[in-house]
Amino acid sequence: MAKEQMMTGCRAAAEGAKAAEVEVICSYPIRPYTAIMMELAKMVANGELNAEFIHGEGEHAQVSVVLGASASGARAFTGSSGVGVTYAMEVYSPMAGGRYPAQMSIADRTLDPPGDFGSEHTDAMSTRDQGWLLGWACSPQEVYDNTLISYRVGEDHRVMLPQMVCQDGYFISHIPDKVILGERSQVKEFLPPYRPIGPLSITHPVSHGPQIRPDQGAPMDAMRAQTFLAVPKVIEEATADFNRIFGRKYDPFVEQYKLKDADIAFFIMGAHSNTCRTSVDRLRKKGVKAGMARLRWVRPWPTHQLAEALGHVKAVGVVETSTSYGGAMRGGNLIHELRASLYDLDKRPLVTSFMAGLGGETIWPADFDYMAKVLTEMVKEKRTKNYVYWIGM
Amino acid sequence: MAKVHEITVWTRGVIMDKEGRDVINIFAKAAQMDGKHAQAFDNYEDLPDRVLVTTRKYVRLSDEEIEHKYVYTNDEPEVVVILEATIVKGIDILRGMKKGGTLIINTNRSIDSMLKFIPNAKLLGTIATVDADGITGVRTVDFSGSEGGVDTSGIGKGIASPVCGAIAKVTGMIKKENLAKIVSDVSGMERGYKEVKIKKLG
Repeated sequence: MAKEQMMTGCRAAAEGAKAAEVEVICSYPIRPYTAIMMELAKMVANGELNAEFIHGEGEHAQVSVVLGASASGARAFTGSSGVGVTYAMEVYSPMAGGRYPAQMSIADRTLDPPGDFGSEHTDAMSTRDQGWLLGWACSPQEVYDNTLISYRVGEDHRVMLPQMVCQDGYFISHIPDKVILGERSQVKEFLPPYRPIGPLSITHPVSHGPQIRPDQGAPMDAMRAQTFLAVPKVIEEATADFNRIFGRKYDPFVEQYKLKDADIAFFIMGAHSNTCRTSVDRLRKKGVKAGMARLRWVRPWPTHQLAEALGHVKAVGVVETSTSYGGAMRGGNLIHELRASLYDLDKRPLVTSFMAGLGGETIWPADFDYMAKVLTEMVKEKRTKNYVYWIGM
Repeated sequence: MAKVHEITVWTRGVIMDKEGRDVINIFAKAAQMDGKHAQAFDNYEDLPDRVLVTTRKYVRLSDEEIEHKYVYTNDEPEVVVILEATIVKGIDILRGMKKGGTLIINTNRSIDSMLKFIPNAKLLGTIATVDADGITGVRTVDFSGSEGGVDTSGIGKGIASPVCGAIAKVTGMIKKENLAKIVSDVSGMERGYKEVKIKKLG
């Protein structure tokens, strides 16, 4: 029986990569994700993991290296944080367009400014239109689990897409929590070996990523969009298998916490959902019917699952830990897609957003109390007074 | 929600970082063996540590599950542990402490000579010194950095063992018997427990 260990999210990501027996790793240091590579470097040096460990000269090179590795048939792993994620921006589309299912482990960090070490989701959220699978964990355990689940989904021949496995910097990446690592036999049962399609080969030469004619563009883009329609089913299958084999209880797309009879709900992802969950309990004790929906995947976006989970709630507060300056709702990103997801319902909740945890600030229990107060007032007045509230100012 | 007790350990970057990390990990583990809930972690803003700069390590203890764990710093430490004595000269190490707190220093100097250098010493209820360097003769065990403070390889080979012995004696927050099951240098821990000098202050 596997035993519980205390470890950080970074260590958990490294353990996940080790369990997946990654064959090529490319590193470049930037906090807070650096610790993932520190751990992997030790594992390779100690002979626990048989992988090629390559030092990139920057994040652009990192993603390029894993692109090449993946194209030649290796299971490849890299990662980054903050401005490192955005420095590699050019390579994200070639990676997804070339259908290379390598993985990038992200520990979120603010962009510059403020460039502090704290967590903001804007770094990885900026890549959401590049065709990658993109999801967030809320504990070191889930980081480990998502590393395995994402490889399985990404490498499925119905999918063949790169994945970003995200965790909040510091809150998840640097605070130890209880983790149960999988047994070798469990991982073997869950994650088959990577089977590349038409890999680069000396004996069977093929061409990857050639220039195409303009009239081939639209069909190719349509195919990529079509692929994403097939992903949810693969995620559902993989999550069900994972739950069965490892004894977990993940909802594939949305963790629903005390939502069934909720009047007001928080819509959130990542680390702060843990404070949110205890806040829901506290609010319930005070007679406020609160609930929480926690998003596990941003790409593919679970439109229908969210409509189903939140349709009956009277008011939803989106807790945004990323920025979308000048956007339709004047604050963050998630609210745009949540509102769109609820639009076709006959009766839909009021939806506002709370900019919270920016700069890596802690979101306090009292902040959730304040948000609940705003949402309760919205329900009473039957209208959304503001698109956005800034928390902790 | 049950009270959360905060313990802050000050050490110096790289050359003594592993020692600080060992103290918090040993402390938290010993407390957990006693059925307490504990967290042990690095100060995130001090990282990545540079050679000799002061870095902080934290423990939090509670009788119940610690609900809110995303707080960067220990703002009201009840116990402050100084692993290198000269740290007391430049920094307000007792910042945030409420009256009646405890200070434990690794030094071979006398308590009274140390007291001269401590800002806000009037906050202290207890001060203690332990000559951990003298006991182990080893200060530096490992230079390998591991952000997040969870590297427990060779735990307690250095000064962390006598320091934790001293902490057990002075605070009563952890038990010597539990420490003996965790640390690699049990006799060093026992000596720290026995040889720590304690002074109660007004």
